[in-house]
Amino acid sequence: MTETGEKKGLPDVFIEPINMSELDRGFRKEIQSMPNGEELSACFACSTCTSACPVANIWEIKPHQLIRMIILGMREKVLSSKEIWLCLTCFECQERCPQGVRVTDIFFDCKNLAAEENMIPDSIVALGKELLEKGQLYIVTADWEREDLDLEPDVPGLSTDAVKRVLGGTRTGRLVKGGK
Amino acid sequence: MSIYSLYMGCSVPANYPNYEASMLKVAESFELTLEYLNDVACCGSPNLRAMDYWGWALVNARTLALADITEHDIVTPCNGCFGSLKDVYHLLKHDTEYRTSINVELEAEGLEFTGTSRPRHFIEVLYTDVGLDSIRKKISKPLDGVGIAIHYGCHLLRPGDVTEITPEVLSELVRVTGAHVVEYPLWKQCCGATVLPVDEALAIRLARDKLKSMKEAGAAFVTVVCPACCNQLDLQQLGLRELYGEKFDLPILFYPQILGLALGFDEDEVGLGMNRVPAKPILQHFSK
Repeated sequence: MTETGEKKGLPDVFIEPINMSELDRGFRKEIQSMPNGEELSACFACSTCTSACPVANIWEIKPHQLIRMIILGMREKVLSSKEIWLCLTCFECQERCPQGVRVTDIFFDCKNLAAEENMIPDSIVALGKELLEKGQLYIVTADWEREDLDLEPDVPGLSTDAVKRVLGGTRTGRLVKGGK
Repeated sequence: MSIYSLYMGCSVPANYPNYEASMLKVAESFELTLEYLNDVACCGSPNLRAMDYWGWALVNARTLALADITEHDIVTPCNGCFGSLKDVYHLLKHDTEYRTSINVELEAEGLEFTGTSRPRHFIEVLYTDVGLDSIRKKISKPLDGVGIAIHYGCHLLRPGDVTEITPEVLSELVRVTGAHVVEYPLWKQCCGATVLPVDEALAIRLARDKLKSMKEAGAAFVTVVCPACCNQLDLQQLGLRELYGEKFDLPILFYPQILGLALGFDEDEVGLGMNRVPAKPILQHFSK
């Protein structure tokens, strides 16, 4: 513990100890078995991903920390973090990783695991509901604009039934039915 | 003459018929036959990928399998659709186990992903299959060197090993119209579209920073090739006036609108009146 008597403003604890008993040693393997997760262990925590991220400066847990937390097995903290949902999916981190770790893809994997446990923003479930009910994310509202340009009135070629049928049987269907 | 399967997605037809119409005009000029691909599903966007990877992979694999039947490459004008289709294509090409599971599901509809049809962005087709020389020859009204900033859109360029598109594709296409490409510090930065449902203030801030960087670098116009980026950069400018008290007056045009005008189409044919920030000032920069 650090004495804070003389120097005001310093925290009581500089580094929050990691409770070993709370670690999930299987988390690393779980992510590595998911799409594009294989390279995870190659991370040597250089934090290039964090330097590349346009929004990391407002994240409490930085991208390189999330990756390190996955490797350590801090499953609960990673999956319940708000940061994974604030990822812009711009792939700047992934593109610059000198070790070939697919950082953005791994955050997608984390969001899928979080969603499976119902840790998902309502607004994302609402998008899933749109897809299930309407079969598309955007609906033509200004059909006169399409007419003015000699385009067919509806979204060309789109089958809304296909989306409803496919997603009705996957996690999207379960999440939407799950009472949101 | 080349034939392509055209996948519009839902955002371009619903929100930006000017992009759709100008793309069709440009394609016609270069004898590219774009045939609407029927019975396809919405790509679901990165938000579906975040919530339901398997469902996202399945709907997009289904679209790719439908394109496989046509044996033509599948072409889209939307970065979001392109990103989804290309990512799933990359996954199924490299992960045989995943591909087998997907094909088991698709079999119920008599479909199979074979990977014959490659997902491509419309501008990459222009660049690769038509080529800069053929485009140059057809330009009847070149621009006068006016400064245009390019917002590429993340899912057009990254991840590079998946998208296989470099920034030169679009910057060369803009240069060939006679425009000067304005370089600006935040050229790689995201428009913020993906986080819009989760944190609207953050999304708007990202769009604002982007516009500011372009404006300060001297851009008179901006070009985009994605409907979601256009929402953020064009439509949001109206909101920014209230939120930040900042007025950018920076017209945002889809690339085929600019090329279409340079090829001699009139402003109505490329739907110029539909751009939210008035884009008509660009007409003064084309030679008569």
